[in-house]
Amino acid sequence: MSAQTFFIGFFGLAAVWFGIVVFRTFSMVRSALALLFSQTALGAMFLSMQAEFLGVLQIMMMATEMSIMAIFMVMFMMDPGGLGEMDMTHQKRLSLSAGIVSFVAAVAVAVFVDWGPVAHTAPDAAQQTVDLGLELLGRSMLIFETAGVTILTAMIAATAVAIQPATWRSKHEH
Amino acid sequence: MSIDLLLALITGAALFGVGIYGALSQTNLVMIMMGVELMLAGAMVNLVAFWRYLHPDTPAGQMFVLIVMTVMAIEMAVGFGVAIARFRAKGSVEMEEAVELKG
Amino acid sequence: MTTVLILLLLALGAYLVAVIETWTITGRFQLAAPLFAGIALLGRESIVPRKPDRIFFEVAPVLLLISAILAAAVVPLTPDLIITDLATGALFINAALVYVLVALLMAGWGPDGAYAMIGGWRFLGQLIAYAMLIVMPITAVVMRAESLLTTQIVVSQAGVWNIVYQPLGFVLFFIAAMALAFLPPFDLPTAKGELAGGVEAEYTGVRLAVFRLGRLALIITLAAATVIFYLGGWQGPWLPPWAWSAIKILVVTATMLLIGRFMPRIREADLLAWCWIFGIPLALLNIFLVGVLVLVLP
Repeated sequence: MSAQTFFIGFFGLAAVWFGIVVFRTFSMVRSALALLFSQTALGAMFLSMQAEFLGVLQIMMMATEMSIMAIFMVMFMMDPGGLGEMDMTHQKRLSLSAGIVSFVAAVAVAVFVDWGPVAHTAPDAAQQTVDLGLELLGRSMLIFETAGVTILTAMIAATAVAIQPATWRSKHEH
Repeated sequence: MSIDLLLALITGAALFGVGIYGALSQTNLVMIMMGVELMLAGAMVNLVAFWRYLHPDTPAGQMFVLIVMTVMAIEMAVGFGVAIARFRAKGSVEMEEAVELKG
Repeated sequence: MTTVLILLLLALGAYLVAVIETWTITGRFQLAAPLFAGIALLGRESIVPRKPDRIFFEVAPVLLLISAILAAAVVPLTPDLIITDLATGALFINAALVYVLVALLMAGWGPDGAYAMIGGWRFLGQLIAYAMLIVMPITAVVMRAESLLTTQIVVSQAGVWNIVYQPLGFVLFFIAAMALAFLPPFDLPTAKGELAGGVEAEYTGVRLAVFRLGRLALIITLAAATVIFYLGGWQGPWLPPWAWSAIKILVVTATMLLIGRFMPRIREADLLAWCWIFGIPLALLNIFLVGVLVLVLP
């Protein structure tokens, strides 16, 4: 069993364990930070699969996103500290069976399909970064531009939806 | 059938399963979004595993993962904008109370 | 043997930075001050708040130290002295430094105290302000070097240092680095005099020593990053490369520690306004200018 297999297994197990902790814990901030560490484990898994740029990007972006999710949890949820130990779930059996069925189906597909010849070496990391850059700005330029415009639209839309309406503010200012 | 590929695919499947459980069982919008994030993360792991073990010479595989990461970020941004607006209007983001189209 | 020597020299450098920090705060140059402060902290009673979130309370100082050290692992002090020359080194520095935010959030939420919590959430507001101002100047630096390797970034500054080539990027990166290391005037998380120490407030004894050490390592790492991105790393006329690295890092650290001492603390609302209204268009202008220069100059 090579080192790569060990690390993929270890980080995968860590990611799944942290993912389960997200929904088992009562404290909301612990839930958000458990999701953060789950995504970090995934980023480490990408690194051990030699996708270096993607791994570093995942680690960086998910830390920021999940921290912002943590503050939203504190703002919007009733018991962010979790000491009240409230049960905030509904349709338990349906969701548990849906989760288990999807897991079993995906594993069945993974095990029983013949994926074809498996490549054992990947290009080295510097070469991958160069290739990715050339691909992004060459063949996939339209996709990249569309993604950029979509991000800008989403930013403007989210700000417009979240901003306080001016009439409320001027009515309540004294 | 490489053991590494199998491990990565099983991890993706497990994350997807946990994500579906979370998205369907939680009542709060923020927790539902966390379930969706887990599902997208499971899909990303599968994508990277397929890129690495089946087609490591095509950078388009990595580009697909970049697009999925972008989608995760965008969905979180717009989702939280909607959550803020809902919280201001109704005082909570519990999805059990969000049964009417009006107001 | 050389590894031990290098580690000793690095520890000595860190000690010198601690002495410089004492000098900037008190105005007196006391060579033994950090040693006595460290011994005193280790000897003091370690008080734990009444109902902390135990995991966060314990992990936060350690995570701060680890993230600073991880970011320093990809910084080259001389052409051969680098712990790991990752192919995405410039991006990895930023990735490791984001965990400073996670550590401060844990330190804020963990102790179950008001002042610590306010300090922690204020740092999140600060991060939203400075995050783009760190990444965009790094993008411009990488554009000139045409590689994410940190050694390649230093080598690409052989003729003209980046501080001359992209001065706008340097100013933005320096300000954002000070905000990341929560130095005055951006020291909202540990607002002395307002939040009674903020995120540091509930830590005593060994944990406070680790927290302060982590902060020191963070300042040194950010100074080292500034030096390799903008000040030409180990390049210089007469002295050997390691001497130039050491001198430049010490000068940048002293500047970072001194420059904000007499300025009022900037509120996160003002910081956000300034960074997003002025900082980001300036950073985009910097990228555009560097792109034009890279294409036009031979």
